[in-house]
Amino acid sequence: MRPFDPRLLTQVPATRRPVVALGAIGVVQGLATIGLAFALTNLVVAVVEGREVVTPGSWLVGLFTVRALLAVANELVGSWAGLRVSTVLRERLIAAWMERDADSRPEAGRAQALATQGMTSIEPYVARYLPALVSGAFLPLLAIGTLLLVDWPSALIVALTVPLLPVFAALIGHTTEKSTQRRWQSLSALSGHFLDVMRGLPTLSSYGRAEAQVETIATVSRRHRLATMQTLRLAFMSAAALELLATISVALVAVTVGIRLANGAMPLDTAMLAILLAPEAYWPIRRVGAEFHAAADGAVAIGDVINELAPTTPTVPTVTHSRPNTADRAFSPVQDAEMRDPRCSVVVEGVTYGYPGAATDVLSHLSLELPIGLTVVTGPSGAGKSTLLELLAGLRRPSAGTVTAPRSHLVTQRPFLASGTVRDNLTLGNDSTDDELWDMLREVGLEGMVAAFEQGLDTRLGDDGFGLSAGQRARLTLARAALSNAPMVLLDEPTAHLDEESAALAHHMIQRLAALRTVVAVTHRPELLTLADKHVQLVLHPTTALAEVSS
Amino acid sequence: MTTAETRTVTTAGGESRQAPAVDSVVTQTVAPGIAPAPEGTGIRGIRAVLDAGLLGGVATASGIALTATSGWLIVRASERPVILLLMTAIVAVRTFGMARPVFRYWERLRSHDVALTDLADRRTTAYARLIPLTPARLGRRGRADLLTGVVDDLSDVVDAQVRVTVPILSTIVASVLAVIVAALLSPSAGLVVAAMAIVTAAIFVLGWQLETRSQQTLLAARAEVARVTALVAGNASELQAIGAEGQAQSWLVTAHADLRWAAGRQSHGRAAAAGLLLLLTAAGTIAMTAAILPGVGTTISAPVAALLVLMPIALGDAFSTLPDAMRALARSRASAVRLHAMLDQQPAVRATGVLSLDTQTDTPSGMPSRLLVTDLTAAWAGTASDVGPLDLEVQRGQHLAITGPNGCGKSTLLAVLARHLDPTGGGYRLGNHDALQLELGQARQVFAVLDDEPHLFASTLRANLQLARPVTTDPELIEAMTSAGLGRWFADLAQGLDTVIGSGGRGVSGGERARLGLARCLVSERPVLLLDEPVAHLDHTTAEAVLGDLTRSTTGRSVIMVSHRPDGLAGFDRVIDLSSPQASGHGECG
Repeated sequence: MRPFDPRLLTQVPATRRPVVALGAIGVVQGLATIGLAFALTNLVVAVVEGREVVTPGSWLVGLFTVRALLAVANELVGSWAGLRVSTVLRERLIAAWMERDADSRPEAGRAQALATQGMTSIEPYVARYLPALVSGAFLPLLAIGTLLLVDWPSALIVALTVPLLPVFAALIGHTTEKSTQRRWQSLSALSGHFLDVMRGLPTLSSYGRAEAQVETIATVSRRHRLATMQTLRLAFMSAAALELLATISVALVAVTVGIRLANGAMPLDTAMLAILLAPEAYWPIRRVGAEFHAAADGAVAIGDVINELAPTTPTVPTVTHSRPNTADRAFSPVQDAEMRDPRCSVVVEGVTYGYPGAATDVLSHLSLELPIGLTVVTGPSGAGKSTLLELLAGLRRPSAGTVTAPRSHLVTQRPFLASGTVRDNLTLGNDSTDDELWDMLREVGLEGMVAAFEQGLDTRLGDDGFGLSAGQRARLTLARAALSNAPMVLLDEPTAHLDEESAALAHHMIQRLAALRTVVAVTHRPELLTLADKHVQLVLHPTTALAEVSS
Repeated sequence: MTTAETRTVTTAGGESRQAPAVDSVVTQTVAPGIAPAPEGTGIRGIRAVLDAGLLGGVATASGIALTATSGWLIVRASERPVILLLMTAIVAVRTFGMARPVFRYWERLRSHDVALTDLADRRTTAYARLIPLTPARLGRRGRADLLTGVVDDLSDVVDAQVRVTVPILSTIVASVLAVIVAALLSPSAGLVVAAMAIVTAAIFVLGWQLETRSQQTLLAARAEVARVTALVAGNASELQAIGAEGQAQSWLVTAHADLRWAAGRQSHGRAAAAGLLLLLTAAGTIAMTAAILPGVGTTISAPVAALLVLMPIALGDAFSTLPDAMRALARSRASAVRLHAMLDQQPAVRATGVLSLDTQTDTPSGMPSRLLVTDLTAAWAGTASDVGPLDLEVQRGQHLAITGPNGCGKSTLLAVLARHLDPTGGGYRLGNHDALQLELGQARQVFAVLDDEPHLFASTLRANLQLARPVTTDPELIEAMTSAGLGRWFADLAQGLDTVIGSGGRGVSGGERARLGLARCLVSERPVLLLDEPVAHLDHTTAEAVLGDLTRSTTGRSVIMVSHRPDGLAGFDRVIDLSSPQASGHGECG
């Protein structure tokens, strides 16, 4: 893991402005800090030597005002930049995933973790760690450079001792790495215990076992405390050691300055300036170490998100237009490309698909042409019916072969319903007016139900709202499919859970859709089959043939 | 000049959800249910916090003294005295330089140790206090997330000791020392330092108020971003399928805009405090110069003058940690308010019953399984979701489903039956007993309750099932899993009952989780199953399959299921729709 990954700025240009702004503030803050050392020196010397104090006093006030403004800017810009970078990355991440097929995305749990906690952990990284990094890199150099002009022996001492800090820190980290690792593991296990028991409290309580855990929690919490203190002792010790190292280094400067001063070999203002400037070379480096602890998660998350956003090198062969060999073509219903129905906008050619990691392919060398009208797909479970729909919808990419298809609307077996209003759910994927919604609700036979709701289209659905039956859900999602203007509608078991009456209504609806669009339905219902213009029957692998009955 | 001290979080390691629990939850023997007396930080704890504050004060004061005495030393050295005269000052500077890291280290050890001790106490206490409130006072849905919130709030409250109490105490101690030293050197200088300390306190309060003002909005905005992100990232394929990618992204953009607004507002607090503290330092330095200038060369020597002029700068450095403390204070106060609201609730049942079940005259398995409810009414305190009056009779072995839209009292009824909630009127008999007269633990033992989020502990499969009845043998556990439809799933587990599940262990699907909950119910051998929307979050096919296995495996037991979905009830003997007036004798939806 790197302290800063420059790919962030090259790949996500929207992050440049916030990062540059923070860096600029850090640099100006450094300059103001050095300037303050001069102003303070002049003030002290003026007071001591009884000279005029208004000029150095004014400088001091002016520079402090600048620093105050910079501190305000640092807080405001830091908060803005942290959120700006993390939200831009989150939006980019989600947008990238939305453009990809299912196999090129991380699985849901990992995706959620990266998009939620992962992106949130970038906030402190940007808001606090990056400014610390800027001043850690800039201020020591500035301080040494200034010292060089003011008093070169002091500059030499500082230049020689400053590198000791990171070396020393790395040394401590290296020697304690193993034991720290081990301790953190046992620590997270111990602290995870309480969370686990708390989350399970309702379950424990319902079997009368909640009280038994009180003692366990006390015991585990005690062990958690001891283990944490061991880890912390080490962390605090190394922090103290680094501070001591810095103090000794500054003392070294002070001693040489003091001796030269006492010998009359140095004016007071130079000496004062040297001892005020010297510490500025050390604390920024210590701060980088201190902030790093809180920012480590963010640095890891930035690496993850950049890898995720990087253009994927497809692990599956890209969609090719090469014709499959003739042996496979024997199974194809389409004998010759020239004989293609010109109305067929959907063409599947020699498509093979296997799930990542699976030994056998679900579909192999499948070729199809789908005209406008209703195509019904049947076949035993495991024959790849749902996979075929997902391939047509572009949710998955074939391992070989090509799919040429227009934009589609796929109603899966578990269609997405947000916990929002009836309107919110119906207008997902389209922007229909209320009148259009009511017309469509009438067609699927839900008008009465929604009209009976006190809040009509504004009635909330889901956990906190009205619970739809499977049949109502199916009709609602069918209505949504009809509202979409996608030229192809794909339906996975659209009427499996419906009673005869609702199924008949839905079938009528599907038939009407098929008059103008390409509709592909996977079903077990014989009634729907009788309405089909085309019937595709999938059989189980390894035969992986395709029998087609056109009605 | 600025020493940024960032402290390590109290709970190093955080509350990682992935972490497996060390102790198997159920290997512990059943201890008598004695909850420890609620105690926060005791006298010992308060003393330890004061100690830590004192140690921190010495460390902070050493830092201030280091800067100030260095100034004295330099000016004194420039007067070219005999080197021996400088020795005291050199020793002092060296001592202060060493003292700062040493005392800081000591303070950190002390403050973290006392915080962790306090955390252990508070965790135990909070858990014990939650037991009588479980489950009726934990809300209807998302109890696990609610309880996760309690865990986080406890950490925040304890964190405040390390991040707020100790730094503030340290600052006060250091300020008092600074005022005394300055006043001894020059009374007017003492006044300047005192004024600085007072203005700092005012700035702290102002910044804290600004932070608190937007705390709630910010938390809500963060929660909304997390909700939308999890929804969109978890349903990418489903959203693509219906062409709603653009809308999904616009939800996120909206949530982000709200978050940016709220966070921007909150940062005003810190920004104001950070800026004002620097202006105060400038004002302090000028005031100090003005205050001592008339006396320099007469009552105040040149080295002392340097010391005093540098003092406000050193104080300003010491105060620069306060904005962090301010933010931690705002957060921990909000957490404390939430914790109190949660833990100070009254239990939903009065455990006044004393009768025990007569195992001789009741069912063979030793417990009654006939339920009779007459004229029953119930209400959650402060909510409108009432139920009844309602009559209901469930015979042994009968399978009953209760449906109706949300808010019509299904869950209320179930809570009353399970003895999680006291009825407000009417009668409730379990077998031959008045259920309310039975000892609470005994009455509850009649029921196995299954909801839509059965928790899987980070432990072995065996431990997870045995928690329902510790004496169960392995073959019995396997039989229960087979009945619950987990036969094939279990056969695939290489480590069998020793397979670790739960967070950090083997992942299970929603359907498997519901079935494990069912297997747990079966293992418990409790005669009545109360099911609270057990398949609410499963897809239709899985839900049907689980319900099928459920009705098959519970033959002979009484089952009462509530569901807001009116389907999938084929295997039930009786279905009551609470929303229809003829639901029972005269029951109606409340």
